[in-house]
Amino acid sequence: MKIVVLVKEVPDMESKFKIIGDAKIDESQIAFKMNDFDEYAVEAALQLKEKLGGEVVILSSGPERVTKEVRQAFAMGADWGIHVCDPQIDEGDNFVVAGALVKAIESVGGVDLVLTGVQADDDQAALTGVFVADMMNFVHCTNVVKIEVGGDQKALTVNRELEGGLNEVLEMAMPAVLSIQSGINQPRYPTLPGIMKAKKKRLDLKKAADLGVSALGEAGSKTKFHKMYFPVSEHKAEIIQGDAKAAAKTLVDKLRNEAKVI
Amino acid sequence: MARILVIAEQRDGKLSEATLELCKAAKEIASGLGATPAAAVFFKDDSLAKEVATYIPEVFAVVDGKLGAYDADYYSQAVKAVVEAKDVKGVLIPHSYDGVDYAGKAALAIGAGIVSNCNKAVVEGGAVVFTRNTYNGKIQEQKSVKTDKFVATFEKGAYDKEAAGGAGSVTAVSVSLVDSRRKIKEIIATVAGSVDISQAKVIIAGGRGTKEKDKYNDVIVNLAKKLGGEFAASRPVVDAGWTDAARQVGQSGKTVAPVLYVAAGISGAIQHVAGMKGSQCIVAINKDPEAPIFNIATYGIVGDLFEVIPAMMEALG
Repeated sequence: MKIVVLVKEVPDMESKFKIIGDAKIDESQIAFKMNDFDEYAVEAALQLKEKLGGEVVILSSGPERVTKEVRQAFAMGADWGIHVCDPQIDEGDNFVVAGALVKAIESVGGVDLVLTGVQADDDQAALTGVFVADMMNFVHCTNVVKIEVGGDQKALTVNRELEGGLNEVLEMAMPAVLSIQSGINQPRYPTLPGIMKAKKKRLDLKKAADLGVSALGEAGSKTKFHKMYFPVSEHKAEIIQGDAKAAAKTLVDKLRNEAKVI
Repeated sequence: MARILVIAEQRDGKLSEATLELCKAAKEIASGLGATPAAAVFFKDDSLAKEVATYIPEVFAVVDGKLGAYDADYYSQAVKAVVEAKDVKGVLIPHSYDGVDYAGKAALAIGAGIVSNCNKAVVEGGAVVFTRNTYNGKIQEQKSVKTDKFVATFEKGAYDKEAAGGAGSVTAVSVSLVDSRRKIKEIIATVAGSVDISQAKVIIAGGRGTKEKDKYNDVIVNLAKKLGGEFAASRPVVDAGWTDAARQVGQSGKTVAPVLYVAAGISGAIQHVAGMKGSQCIVAINKDPEAPIFNIATYGIVGDLFEVIPAMMEALG
């Protein structure tokens, strides 16, 4: 089994966000980490490899600092990786990034499965996995919460989560792209020997030109970014002031006498 | 005249509420563009198309035995067929589990740019500008497409539901569907357990901010007991195994509408809010003053839930 996992670096959502102009967040104030959903995808890939053999390749597009997340996946047990590092790709939309990822996956050759998180916490688009699948003419499934590979390693049975506590059980042939939902597993922590080994694992650096990507940057994008801003809510909660004790007392009083709900 | 097309969503022959919301959105966008609102219904017979026609003036019915249940390959083929046959400029799809499964594929099939997870669309100078959440709802952005056609997915609740009562036309659109590469084996219920939190009058829900199982029990379960209500959780708590899936509130869990809903250590991601925004009185307790949960709460306390909840227990006597 040759499995490629698409991993994205995202801001830690607990960071203090500042917007520069109305165009981008101030990255100097942000702590970055691996997208949570992608961590589940890495774990799912490692579990399949442990069961069936083969290799797990990590693929990430982003600035130089994303090597941290790729090495984290190495430390968890992934074998090697590709870092697509080109601002002309990162400046593009999901369509541009997916196109570059497809070229990188094709460069690996003989891939059976592509796994990725169901969405990235930063853009929340939930598009990349589906785009990659369609561009490669692979069958795909989103919101996957269970994977079983058939005995001949040619077919899959997956559970796709539906709303309201239901799962759809689907069968499909490989190669396939699966977008992994949280809760499918408990991602492992890198071990110390894992961290030591991770430093020596192969990480190929690729620019757009190396991959032969033609759609680049804003010009290659199918969407246009206008601006970003903090949401202005028409409704805001009545924020109860004071220390924890005073605020709690006021809240209980309001719930009893104002809202009359307790 | 160009059309703005809603792709209807159904499960077991029942239309989703999101479909009715998009009927409203399509009318608004169409009016701004000088286009006409329409819907496409993909189903095994034309019964649902007739139903959708009570919400929107023009409905295209793709009827095929293969379309009884949702399938990504079939839906993207059907979208392409209707778009090509019927002068469609924009395609609106619910940002639901099914919607995100095929929207990107449908967009590529018709060569359109896609803006996903939108909560608003306005027409400015002949172009549709979409507003969407990013960074877990902490920031919003505006985007448009550069292509002639667009696809947009909308989060649940972005628009009010359209009311039934019209008498739109239903036109058949034929498509020869290439066999799907996915085969549905079965649909199973994954949530076991006897508790039904949807009936509770008071719900105390804990999120990622409760930190660990013992602490979740200490604060959330105890406060629920004290108030004679049920305890509940957002998805990360269930994923971590601190409580049962039957107690999960949100898109993939239960929808609740109690008299009092306390959200402690829950940031207020749209997937959670979708399941509890109908609550009468919402209390949010969170350390982060910018947590989106404060945008829907009635009362908010910015603080550490491990200090606030014990103090509430004390104040309750």
